[in-house]
Amino acid sequence: MTMRFLSATALAGAIALGGLFGAPAAMAATPKDLLIVAQAIDDIVSLDPAEGFELTSVQSFNSLYQRLVQSNQTEPTKLDPVLAESWVVAPEGNAITFKIRDGATFSSGNPVRADDVIYSLSRAVKLGKSPVFILNELGWSADNVDTFLTKVDDSHVKVSWPAKVGPSFALSILSAPVASIVDQKEVEAHAKDGDFGNAWLHTASAGSGPFKIRAYQPHEALVLDANATSPTGAPKLKGIIFKNVADPSARRLLIEQGDADIARDIGADQIAALTGKPGIEVLSAPSAEVDFLGFNAASKTNPDTKNPALWEAARWLVDYEGIAKNLLKGQSNVHQVFIPKGFAGSLDDTPFKLDVEKAKGILKAAGLDKGLTVKLSVINQPPYTDIAQALQATFAQAGIKLEIEPAVASQFYSTLRSQGHEAALAFWIPDYFDPHSNASAFALNRDDGTKTVAWRYGWSIPELSEKTQAAVEEQDADKRAADYKAIQLEVQQKSPFVILLQPNNQIVLRDNVKGFVQGLNADQVYFAGVEK
Amino acid sequence: MTDTGGRLAAPELLPRRPRGRRGLSFLAGVANWLVTLAITLLGLMVVTFALAELSPADPALHLAGDKATEATYQAARQTLGLDDPLPQRFAAYVGNVLTGNLGTSWSTNQPVFGDIVRVFPATLELATVAILFGALIGVALGVLAALRPRGLIDGIVRIISLIGYSVPIFWLGLLFLLLFYARLHWAAGPGRLSDIYAYTITPVTGFYLIDTALWGEEGSFLDTLSHLVLPASVLAIHSLASISRLTRASLLGELGKEYAVAARAKGVGEVHLMLTHLLPNVAGTVLTVIALAYATLLEGAVLTETVFGWPGLGRYMTTAIFASDMPAVLGGTLVIGVCFVIVNAITDILARIVDPRLS
Repeated sequence: MTMRFLSATALAGAIALGGLFGAPAAMAATPKDLLIVAQAIDDIVSLDPAEGFELTSVQSFNSLYQRLVQSNQTEPTKLDPVLAESWVVAPEGNAITFKIRDGATFSSGNPVRADDVIYSLSRAVKLGKSPVFILNELGWSADNVDTFLTKVDDSHVKVSWPAKVGPSFALSILSAPVASIVDQKEVEAHAKDGDFGNAWLHTASAGSGPFKIRAYQPHEALVLDANATSPTGAPKLKGIIFKNVADPSARRLLIEQGDADIARDIGADQIAALTGKPGIEVLSAPSAEVDFLGFNAASKTNPDTKNPALWEAARWLVDYEGIAKNLLKGQSNVHQVFIPKGFAGSLDDTPFKLDVEKAKGILKAAGLDKGLTVKLSVINQPPYTDIAQALQATFAQAGIKLEIEPAVASQFYSTLRSQGHEAALAFWIPDYFDPHSNASAFALNRDDGTKTVAWRYGWSIPELSEKTQAAVEEQDADKRAADYKAIQLEVQQKSPFVILLQPNNQIVLRDNVKGFVQGLNADQVYFAGVEK
Repeated sequence: MTDTGGRLAAPELLPRRPRGRRGLSFLAGVANWLVTLAITLLGLMVVTFALAELSPADPALHLAGDKATEATYQAARQTLGLDDPLPQRFAAYVGNVLTGNLGTSWSTNQPVFGDIVRVFPATLELATVAILFGALIGVALGVLAALRPRGLIDGIVRIISLIGYSVPIFWLGLLFLLLFYARLHWAAGPGRLSDIYAYTITPVTGFYLIDTALWGEEGSFLDTLSHLVLPASVLAIHSLASISRLTRASLLGELGKEYAVAARAKGVGEVHLMLTHLLPNVAGTVLTVIALAYATLLEGAVLTETVFGWPGLGRYMTTAIFASDMPAVLGGTLVIGVCFVIVNAITDILARIVDPRLS
């Protein structure tokens, strides 16, 4: 403190003398029981669990809120009881009665009641914000949801659903952040014009998680305080500050100096430079994202993109190994099926590799060897722009000219949702911890107005859609896993999608930070056990 | 000749106005200024609105998210009023602005007015400190360079201003951070205030130099200064480039004029001539450049604010643009427009005060 004071005084004096600098300052260190996380938090639209669907918001929900059941931190395919102490499945397999954890309270001190569970689930469905489609999977809609949520007594609640899905699938849905239990009394106290307290929850929290929001300043910081009365125990830290540092180089400097304890979203080059530096640890945890290239069979501007021969040739025109190892320096692994590794039912098969001659043969047989041009839409940010350039180089070897069209995210998705692209390089992250989350995107297109990934790429698959629907309704776990393997292989061999990579989450930590857990999925970030 | 404290001034070019009309002409000036302000702002709104309309990005999609169901997406379009006809939306917007309502930002979900009140002081503080540095050093360098044109000092000043002009500002910022923060620990890193103070202080004015001085927490004022010095220096170097070149050029232009020759003939020394005879005569021009540089800094130096994690208007606007956040973009543009007009007006007044030919 005195050292800082002295140096800063010296500094001020020096400035007055014309911009010369004073004596060196002591190395900064962050306060002992406060965790400083440097990342970009510009994406936050809302911190209401029924609405927030941006990366940063989703990453904070495990700290602020709890669900009846949640994925186990280290074995995510297992579900742990959290706000529910236990549950009983109805014999028909379409309802579960939960017993609420004894003595559980919200950060306000209010007890967690059956009413809160009913209010939270019904509220999320009626608000109808971005993540509502997850709860819609159970057949719930704003009109019918109240009939499927029943209070047995203060500590027992019966949750049933009209969709033909089994209890294990329903539990997966109930473990998603959108099913977080909020404090009805607290939220309703802040409700305005029947908005279920949505405007207030944009910047405040009313949950039972290990932390609560102290302050949120958009584009500046999200500050959390410990919630000592959390049903699962008090966290070890007194607080967390998520600091908005938009520039990756500045984030790197902060973590190197010890002015931040954790830094996220640092590029491959910077990670390589940081690896092995004293006081720095790089955590590389698999993420559930899959990156893929897709051709739009419904393109109005390009007749070739609906040709299965082009799809097949494309699978042999990607230098999978080169992209993963040399370009992305281990930030991603080669992955060629749509269910990410770590989820039930994922496959390790990687049958495709770069083979230009084979691709040329396929194109020639289909009469596509006269040279063709395809516009490739891509989000204007690394690593997608880098991957696109690598694809451009190898496709050119077989006479396919990829014209890269970079766009900001909202423009990119707008193009895809209107099927205005010819081909796109995109990524997909599961929304809840069940294979159906991705199967319903890649292998389901019922032409019912739902803009699944398969629909966006104009892939008409009535039979495969039936299989996908049957798989989610299957109650036998082994049979269900086998179904997903078959569906994945069909997509791998016959679809307009070339699944390329599964990235890792690379997070930089100071070496005194212990107990931080980064799970597979975007929301699986756990700070409760962190200590310094 | 007016009495200008014994210095030689250029002959008066403007006929004197009769004294009694002063009050009237002042009122006319104010009215004129207000009309200019209104026209400028309306023009700004039209252009910004048109640009946002032409942009291919979809704000409803930004709000609803890529995976939203069609119903959610349509609800978002409804919320944002995207389905109303364009003239109606523009009229509604202008009507709101006139009643002081800038709307709610689509990306932060907060009232735009409150957002801007929060971010603008950060930019204003940074810009003001930077322009003070830049103007003082820039004018001093310009005078030094003009004393001996094509001499050694002139060469050094030329190199400094060339660096200021041509080195990319984000690169310079990162270099400063690397050197003075990371290597030498002479200054604080990104941000406005260290974490130990940042979220315990309740900002009164939003100007941290003032807030921390009032707060009296030991070390917090110096901590603010330590955070301010690097970004302010980067911006100062950038603005002193043009200020020093222009000061030099205007002084050399004055040197050949009759009054300068006459002063020399009377035996006035070179330095004395520069400071007391020439500098006041070029002050108007120099002030204009300083004001322009200042107004530019008030837009928020986007790259500097990004590199230094400075939560100012530039960052706010950039994020808003990327999110196609119309209310925030329009609100920010209005604030910048008002800044420009105000800075221009102040410059006019200052120029009249310092330039004997205009008073």
